[in-house]
Order: sequence, then C-alpha cells, then structure tokens
Amino acid sequence: VIQFLVRRIFWAFFLFLAATGVTYVLFFVIPSDPARIAAGKAATAPLIKHIRHMMGLDLPLYHQYWNFVWALVRHGSFGYSYVNGEPVRSMLAQEIPVTASIVLGGVILYLLIAIPTGVISALRPRSIMDRVGMVFVLFGVSAPSVWVGTMLLYLVGFRLGWTPISGYCGIKPTSAFGECGGFWPWFSHLILPWVTLAIGSAALYTRLIRANVMETLSEDYVRTARAKGASPKRVLVQHVLRNSMLQVVTILGMDLGLLLGGALFIEFIFGLPGLGQQILTANNSFDLPVIIGITMFACLAVIAFNFIVDCLYAWLDPRIRLT
Amino acid sequence: MHRKSLLSLFMLSMGAALIVAAMAVGVASARTQATRNLVVTQGGGAFDTLDPQLAYVSNDWGLQYNTELTLLNFPTAAGTAGTKLIPQAASAMPAIANGGRQYTFHIRPGLKLSDGSSVSAANFQRAFERNLSPQMYAQWGIADGLDQFLVGGAKFAAGKAAHISGVDANGLTLTIHLTRVVPQFTSIMGMPWFQAVPSNLAYSNNKGGIRVYASGGPYYIYSNNLNKLTVLKRNKHWQTSGYFTSNWPSNPDVITIKSTPNSDGTAELLQAEKGQVDLAGVASQDIHDTVQTYGINKKTSKGELIIGPTTCILWNAMNDLAQNGTTKKTNVRKALNYAMSRTVQNSYYGEQAGKASEQILVPAIPGYNKLTYYGGTGDLTKAKNVGGTDLKDAPLNIYYRASSTAQSNIAEYMRSQAVKLGMKPNLTPADPADYYGALETKATATGSGGYNITASGGWCADYEDGYDYFNVNFDGRNIQPTGNADYMYFNNATFNSHMDAAAAKTGSARATAYGNLDKEFMQTYAPLIPREIPNSREFAAPRVGNYIYSTWWGQGYWNAIKVPAT
Repeated sequence: VIQFLVRRIFWAFFLFLAATGVTYVLFFVIPSDPARIAAGKAATAPLIKHIRHMMGLDLPLYHQYWNFVWALVRHGSFGYSYVNGEPVRSMLAQEIPVTASIVLGGVILYLLIAIPTGVISALRPRSIMDRVGMVFVLFGVSAPSVWVGTMLLYLVGFRLGWTPISGYCGIKPTSAFGECGGFWPWFSHLILPWVTLAIGSAALYTRLIRANVMETLSEDYVRTARAKGASPKRVLVQHVLRNSMLQVVTILGMDLGLLLGGALFIEFIFGLPGLGQQILTANNSFDLPVIIGITMFACLAVIAFNFIVDCLYAWLDPRIRLT
Repeated sequence: MHRKSLLSLFMLSMGAALIVAAMAVGVASARTQATRNLVVTQGGGAFDTLDPQLAYVSNDWGLQYNTELTLLNFPTAAGTAGTKLIPQAASAMPAIANGGRQYTFHIRPGLKLSDGSSVSAANFQRAFERNLSPQMYAQWGIADGLDQFLVGGAKFAAGKAAHISGVDANGLTLTIHLTRVVPQFTSIMGMPWFQAVPSNLAYSNNKGGIRVYASGGPYYIYSNNLNKLTVLKRNKHWQTSGYFTSNWPSNPDVITIKSTPNSDGTAELLQAEKGQVDLAGVASQDIHDTVQTYGINKKTSKGELIIGPTTCILWNAMNDLAQNGTTKKTNVRKALNYAMSRTVQNSYYGEQAGKASEQILVPAIPGYNKLTYYGGTGDLTKAKNVGGTDLKDAPLNIYYRASSTAQSNIAEYMRSQAVKLGMKPNLTPADPADYYGALETKATATGSGGYNITASGGWCADYEDGYDYFNVNFDGRNIQPTGNADYMYFNNATFNSHMDAAAAKTGSARATAYGNLDKEFMQTYAPLIPREIPNSREFAAPRVGNYIYSTWWGQGYWNAIKVPAT
C-alpha cells in the first residue's frame, strides 16, 4: 500500500508539473501582451515598459516559469490578478467554497435520484417504473442545463417566489454587513442550482447504473449466490450493487474533478460567484494568472479524485490490489 | 422486493423533498437587518478599482459620487441642473489670478472625513500627488496632461521632488499654480480624482489600489470586495447644514452594491421586479417586454423603468493613417457618413439603446446645439455623389470585435453598404485579447493591415467642458507611438488652431466656440461617424422612492433614493 501511495503521489506530482508547464506556456505564448492589457486603455509606452518589468515579463520564458513554480511551491502563490491586483490565492479561497457547495450538493442530489431509479429500472425492466425512469432520462439528457436553470429560476424563483432568484449566501453565519450566511440561506440559494445540475447528470447516471446492474445480475457469481440461498437483499447489496458501482465511481471521480474546475453554466445562470464565474471574467479580460490559478485547481481536483477513485476500487472489488 | 422498491421510491423522492424543504425556507432576502438599505445589483459589470485616484470607469465614478468630497461637485438634481458644478468643499468658486495661471480655493471650516479627521487643503494636495506619483500603479493624470500644466508636476511625476511645487496647501487654503492658462481647470476640479483623501493615504503600486479609505462625502466605503459586494454607509460626519443636505442628501442609511460580473442581466431584473433588490440594469433582451409592461419613466405600483441619456457619444472612427489611403480622403469620409445609417447601427444594441446623433458634443456640455447634416438614415445616393470615383474599388478594412454580436452585425452592415458604394470592404476582426492595442498604436494604424473604420468607439465626459471632447481626442499634435486616444489619427493644422482658440476662451464665448467646432468638425472634416448618445436603462423596485436620474453619471442618484426601513 505504501509503495502504491508513493507511486501515485509521484505520478500526481509529475502530472501537476506537466499541467502547469503546458498551461503556462500556452497562455504566455499566445499573441497578447499582458503588460499592455494590465496597463489599461491609453497607456503610454513607458508605463507599459514599467509594468512589464514589474510583472517580470521582460525575463526569458523559462525564467518566468521557474518564478511561477517557485512562488507556487515556496509560498503557495498563484500570482496576482492583472485586473485588480488581488492575490489569485485569496480569490480562489473565496470561490472554491461556492463551487464546492454547488457541486457536492448537486452530486448528492443526483446520486439520490440516479441510484434508486437505475436499480429499480434494472430490477423491473419494461415495468412502469422503468418506463417512467426512461422518460426522465430522455428529458434530462435532452434539456440543456441553461434552459432548465432559466425555467426553474423564472417559475420557482420569480413566479412562485419560493426560492431566491439569484445570488449566494455562505454556509457559515456572518455578521459582516451586507453579507448573508447560515445554513438555511445557503440551502435556499443553492437548491435550484442543485436541481439544475442534478437533472442532467441524474439522467446519465440512471442509464449507466441500470445497464451495469442488469449486466451484473446475469453474472455467474450472482446466480451462485442465489443458489446458495443468499437473501435477495444480500444479493443486491453485497454482490450486485458493489460490483455495479465500479464504473459509476470512475465516472463520478472524473465528473467531480471537472465540475470543481467551475460549474460554468450553473454559476452564470444563478449569479453564483464561484470558479466558473471567475474564469469567465478572467477569460474576457485575459487575466492570465487567474486563468492559470483556476486551471491548476481543476487539475489538482482531477488528480485528487482519481486518487480517491483508485483507492475505492480496492474497497469495492477486493480482486483489485493497491500495488 | 416490494419493500425494497418502496425504499427506492422513498429515496427517489428525496430530491423532491429537498426542494420542498427549500421552498419552506422561503426567500432569504437580499436585504439585511439595516434600517434603510438600498440594494443595487450590477449585472454584467464589477468595479475594477475604487481607489480615488485610479478609478476611471463610469460605474466606479457613479459610486464615488456618493463618497467623495470634491472642491466643486455636481448637485443631486435632475436634468441640466445636475450637470453644473457648484462649490462643495470650497466655500466658493475659485479665485483666478495671474492671468488664469493661479487658482485659489478656500475650504469650508468644519468639514470632516468619515474617520472624524478634519478636512484641510492637505487632503486635496494628497489627491494631486496620488494622481501623479510614480509610486502609483497607473498615472491617468499624466494621460490627461496634469503633469504638464501643474507647476512642478513633471518633476514630481519623475520622482525628483517630494511634493508638487505648484500645489500649495496652507491650512484651509489651497493654491494651485499652472504653467499655462487652462480654462477647463475649474471643470477638472469636479473629477473624482481630486476628492479629499486622508493626507497620509498610501500610494498603491497595485492596480486594484486602496479599497477602503476614509472619505468626505455623504457616504464612505465600509467594505469592498470589488467584483462581489461593496457596502457604503452613511458618513456620520457629513454636514447637516441645508446647503449640503439639499444638494447632496443622504437618504438611505446603507447602500449595498452586489456585482455579478457575467450575468446577462435577466436574473437581476427579475430580482428587482420581485423586490429582492432595489435597482437593476435592464439588458437589451429584456427591454422590449419591460417597456410594454411598465412604460418609460412612469412610476407604477410594480416598479419603474427609467431610461435616460448619458454624456457619452458613440462613433465609428475612420483612420487617417491607414496605408491604403481610403479614409484619408475627406470626400470618402463624408460619403461613409451619408451611407452608414445611425438608426440601423443603433438597432443592433436593442430597443431604447440610445438616441441617434451626428455630432460630438452632447446636450449636457456647454455649446451644444443639435446638428443634422448627414441625415443619419443611410443615404446611398448622396454618398455616391459626394464620394464620386474615389469610392470605386477602394479598399475598406472594417475593424470590429468578433466576440460582440452587435459589433459583428454592425461590421456586416457596413460591409454591405460599402459594397453598394462600389468599394472593396474587408472585415478585420480585432485581437480578442487586446481590442485597443491596434487602435492605440500608431504603427499598427499606419501599417498595411491598418483599419479604415471601426464598428465601435466613443467617448464619455470626464468633465463638463468641450475641451474634454475635442482637444483631448482630436488634437493630432498629441499623437504618440502608442497610448493614443485619437483612433482617427486626425491631425489638421487648421482645426488644431481652432481648438487652441476655443480652449483659450472662457464663459459663454468658450461655449460658442466649442459649438462652432462641433459644426466645423463634421461638416468640413468628418473623420468619424458619430452615431448615438447611449441611454442608461434601469429598473427601480416598487419600494424605491425619490428616484432622480443623473445625466452626468448615467444612473439614479443613490444618495437621494428613499427606501422604507426594514
């Protein structure tokens, strides 16, 4: 196990270096002048030169990359926004909880929908439940989250007035003026984003789980377990579900990592100040340090969740060894 | 298995149960516990900085009107009254001496910043220094020539002096010495850059600048998370005399500004209609329905749609230096002025986006007289008559931002009109990373790939004087290798001398001179196609009272609005 961990950590470190290198080079070799952009409109040549020097952009590219990696490793710094000079790290610290709230809540919700729906559909193929489930799947897959979100916002938030229309409240109660916080405000601001995220993903996961469970039900070891007199509950939970979840866990791991990089459409529709909003803003203003910071975070999230998935494999299927 | 199905059904219903639970919670109002809290939402735009000397964007200045104490300021008043400067911190308009080279302001006694410290001339002196200091991140003051017309300005900006020798602070007297006559100087003193700041307010080499600082206006910045939430609270040291409370009231206790940088605006409008926020912008896609529902500038029990003009003028710049030479010819520029319909171009920005215009000055600026010369409707016959043979097969590079739907449409429209004129148009999309780079850089403008005409461009007033429209933008003697504001690269000796003559005048003669320049510029040279004075489109929630629209700031005066205590 220790060997496995060391190897994975080493591999994660290598991936991280490769991702930072590629990202850095990509963003810094495109034909734009960050100093000119940072200097703003009607900037004079001496001012641009001064800013270029302040940003270290007059150094060779390898030197700039080394400075970037060193600042990241030594000080945990992603640099400073070209637009407002704010440390990218503190921007991420504000935005990660927002995106994490959306993603984790949405994932819990869609798993709560997808697992029972998928299992019931698999256990009772062509039943009414199965057909209703498939209609749901068809709807969820067909309806873009932008449309679902806008409809929910208009019908539930505006027309019915049951939830806030837009915005975000932190989960922690706050006394800071103008800011809202606490569990219920947080929950009520996020329920529509969660549902929006859940509808599309639940449909896909329902389909996936249904197929996996049906396939597993036909396996020899399931028939053997039944023949040996195992109860239907034991067969379903211990043998069918556990084995059906391998693929689900793999995709879930990747989904989580990617979504944590920014649930772009959801944040856009509901005015949630998360990583997705920030990367849009940064992209529009070519705020390269912020774009790199968010890319790095997404990269780290994917690496971390893949690592967790690898560990879960061994737990779900004892035949897989962490070697 | 039946029981398990029930269990699964139960789990399935969990999602729905969560929704129901949220509904039970109800709306966690965007308003907080403060007594009279005006909640403003900014969809699509955040503050880039609120540092008093770095801020240079309309919404930054719109906010700072509420927090600033300037020597002269615009009163909180509707219409043109709100575009005329009156003394604020100064006890009177400045005493001008030394042939227009010395301005003396006497500051009212008893004024205080929000931290309780007394206001003296030193607070204004610091503002001048922060505008020019090489220790500041950006030096907008230099771009506006402050270093050239302040005695000692250049030396200070070069880091060779501790103070600007021409800005003398002595107790409550501020004396400013100029290197030359600058008749617009009084108007310049109304800019937020020259507001009173703490005399020890640090320099900032960070583009975001200082975020929270003591200020002398009716409000101060209490907290400031630039692109998310900014809170203003009433300055408890604000003057209580009738002069101040009538000209700069402070009705809300708190002003909360929520920014959602990437919103398309619809959610913010719905929030305002629902009363979850008090003020929201109205985006192009929503304006038609909103006009149908609420009318324009009519207060109803369900809210009010307010549409008002700004002090901006939008135009299509025509480049005098483009290597193909097409737009160097005055008759071609005039032909394009006839050919390009203002109405069509403006329609791409949606209903009520603005009012068509064919001149540089806007109604709030002294000297404005409405001009109609080219008709503004796209007259191809007149265009062909004026352009003659110079139009035939003439290349026309149309510069536009491809990521903007409106600009792309305008560029396509221009192309189709140019084809009808017999020209050879070519769409030239801007570098998506840097739209202004090509426009501001002389070498690019001159090069073979140079643009002939832009799909967008324009100017908003920094101060209420024709100088800020003409001399700042069209004085070709100021063209530099980079950092140019004159995207037309228009440099005409006769017109330069006429601008100099107008700039030297004062009072009504000055206004008349700029009015004449306005006419001469378009009728004789036409280096651009003025097309629209854009509107501000804002929605006020039902509970908003005493909304007064400011033409100068292009938004309602937040400090005047009355909202009930909650």
